[in-house]
Amino acid sequence: MSEIATKSPPEAPERAPSPKPRRDALWWVRKALWLVVLLVALALPLYLEAEWLKAGQYMMVGAVGAIGLTLLTGQAGQLSLAHAFFLLAGATAYTVLSGPTGDPELLGFGLDPLLALLGAVAISAVLGLAFAPVAGRLRGIYLGVASLSLVFLGLYFGQAAENLTGGTSTGRPPAEFSLFGFPFSNEGDLEILGVPIRETERVWYLFLALTVIAFLLARGAVGGRVGRAWRAVRDNEPAAAVMGVSVWRAKAGAFAVSSAYAGLAGVMTVLWFDLLKPDESEFGTYGINVSIAYLAMIIIGGLGSVPGALVGALLVNGLPQVLALYSTELGWSTGTGEHAFTPILISSFVYGAAIILVVLFEPGGLAAIGRRIAGRLSGKQRERNGS
Amino acid sequence: MTVPELSVRDVTLRFGGLYALDDVSLTVEPGSLHALIGPNGAGKSSCFNVISGLYRANEGTVTFGDHDLTRTRPHRLARMGIGRSFQNAALSPHSTVLDNVMLGRFALTHGGFLSCGLRLPWTRREERKHAERAAEICDFLGIGAELHAPVGSLPYGAVKRVDLARALAVEPSLLLLDEPAAGTNAAETAELASTIHDIRDELGISILLVEHDMGLVMGIADRVTVLDFGRVIADGPPADVQADPEVVRAYLGSENAEAG
Ligand SMILES: Nc1ncnc2c1ncn2[C@@H]1O[C@H](COP(=O)(O)OP(=O)(O)OP(=O)(O)O)[C@@H](O)[C@H]1O
Ligand SMILES: [Mg+2]
Repeated sequence: MSEIATKSPPEAPERAPSPKPRRDALWWVRKALWLVVLLVALALPLYLEAEWLKAGQYMMVGAVGAIGLTLLTGQAGQLSLAHAFFLLAGATAYTVLSGPTGDPELLGFGLDPLLALLGAVAISAVLGLAFAPVAGRLRGIYLGVASLSLVFLGLYFGQAAENLTGGTSTGRPPAEFSLFGFPFSNEGDLEILGVPIRETERVWYLFLALTVIAFLLARGAVGGRVGRAWRAVRDNEPAAAVMGVSVWRAKAGAFAVSSAYAGLAGVMTVLWFDLLKPDESEFGTYGINVSIAYLAMIIIGGLGSVPGALVGALLVNGLPQVLALYSTELGWSTGTGEHAFTPILISSFVYGAAIILVVLFEPGGLAAIGRRIAGRLSGKQRERNGS
Repeated sequence: MTVPELSVRDVTLRFGGLYALDDVSLTVEPGSLHALIGPNGAGKSSCFNVISGLYRANEGTVTFGDHDLTRTRPHRLARMGIGRSFQNAALSPHSTVLDNVMLGRFALTHGGFLSCGLRLPWTRREERKHAERAAEICDFLGIGAELHAPVGSLPYGAVKRVDLARALAVEPSLLLLDEPAAGTNAAETAELASTIHDIRDELGISILLVEHDMGLVMGIADRVTVLDFGRVIADGPPADVQADPEVVRAYLGSENAEAG
């Protein structure tokens, strides 16, 4: 008894263990790897053809959306199939806010594109918050099914609100993005190392910046007080509440944040297509298939892992793009007939199989595989201490 | 720090026709180590859940100083200075020890998605300060070497200590401990008993301790309340309670049943 008594408690220990994560070799390797990834991403427009850049941009759209969903489903434990709806919400909000005023058929507010982007993100967050009362009452598969209804709501809205979306037949072009007067178009002569930086390259850098911001914000939140509250709610609601977390607020917050991410991905989607076009059926740009694709990304990447979501998005959104590029190169038919093996169909099979493999053999997804490799590299000592 | 009194008054809690708590009253005097004991299913955890606002009492009130806890939502309790551990530990197994204990600092810290996401200087400073405190608490409880280990990788005795550390991290003036020694061996139990006693002495807080093990409780408690089938069958200093024939009967009865 006396040994413990002399070890002075709470007040002032002489040598408390360090709460800081160790900055060992592995830590530096990790930082260096991220730096390399970033540098490569910055250099790619100087080397890649426009269509490959387009494919890369689409992967970044997926990355932003997937990071949002992994926060909600992986960190806060709320299954959502509504992601595609919030993509549509962001896409529409951006197009309307930045659209020209005075068009008799189409509503537009003529806002600066940056303001319109921020506004679209905010509107998506508010819509997510509006769904929070439902999210607070349901869980698991019930929440998933309830959230799916939003996708159908979106389908109806996209077709009915023609003065916002332009309708299914023609759609509506979004305002071209510009940042403090700098246009993300072919306007003006801009060169880096003799390579002209035109619309595709500029949009690549815009998307890269948005992805990096989305990534860093999510990492910060996951590592901090907010992420801790989300995980607590996911793992044990009563314990979370007793520790001071308002379960309802934490869930609503996660929904708002995730919807904001989806909204941003929606803005990126219209900028990528250069068109806002509502779907004609429940499958399309903002359909059920998209909600499921986002779930696939975060499951393959490892639920709750932000880097995992990023990699999952590169695979799931990248594969159809890359296949499409190769199919023209290899002279495949990209036919649209009923039985055509389209790149989208093939990649659906591939990521369907990937999900089954992950669920069967590594429920922690790519993130867990990455952790295991890191553990091997740094030897047993670290494995014992965890990472 | 002035420690308020916890008062449970005539609390009845029903699950359908089952009386989990039947007209239960008890008072935890400021700064005392109060034990709540009783056989399996006596209603001890239910009593904790009523106090922490997780269950709503059908009748009766619970007050903590001036606060009426029966009208308080559970997440407000940490801010009033009530910390609690759980019979089943209720931790996040994939998160590290430090991360789990830091959850106890939730009510003492600030910052939402943007300030955490942007890693604003004040958020980081606050996080660092509180992490140091959490590490101190872990060190005090003998789990300081495991700060960065996932809770799921620890032996059960250590897991229970993480839960205790998290409850202490709230900086409570009242600590509710639900079977902190459950599933730990005899040596660990004795050490834990003395740790709990030290916490009370050094921090001057009140502790309400649920324990199965009569021996552990009798050595350290100032006062003991005994529940059986949701009713209080004895309440007093350990020596009196131990001699109470009804307590002996309840305990012997259940012990025989367990042995058989
Ligand atoms: N949520 C609930 N729903 C229905 N019955 C419950 C619930 N919680 C507790 N009970 C019942 O209330 C009674 C008291 O249970 P409680 O968990 O409070 O006992 P305990 O004294 O903590 O027992 P133990 O020593 O096993 O932990 C038991 O009969 C239990 O089955
Ligand atoms: Mg119990």
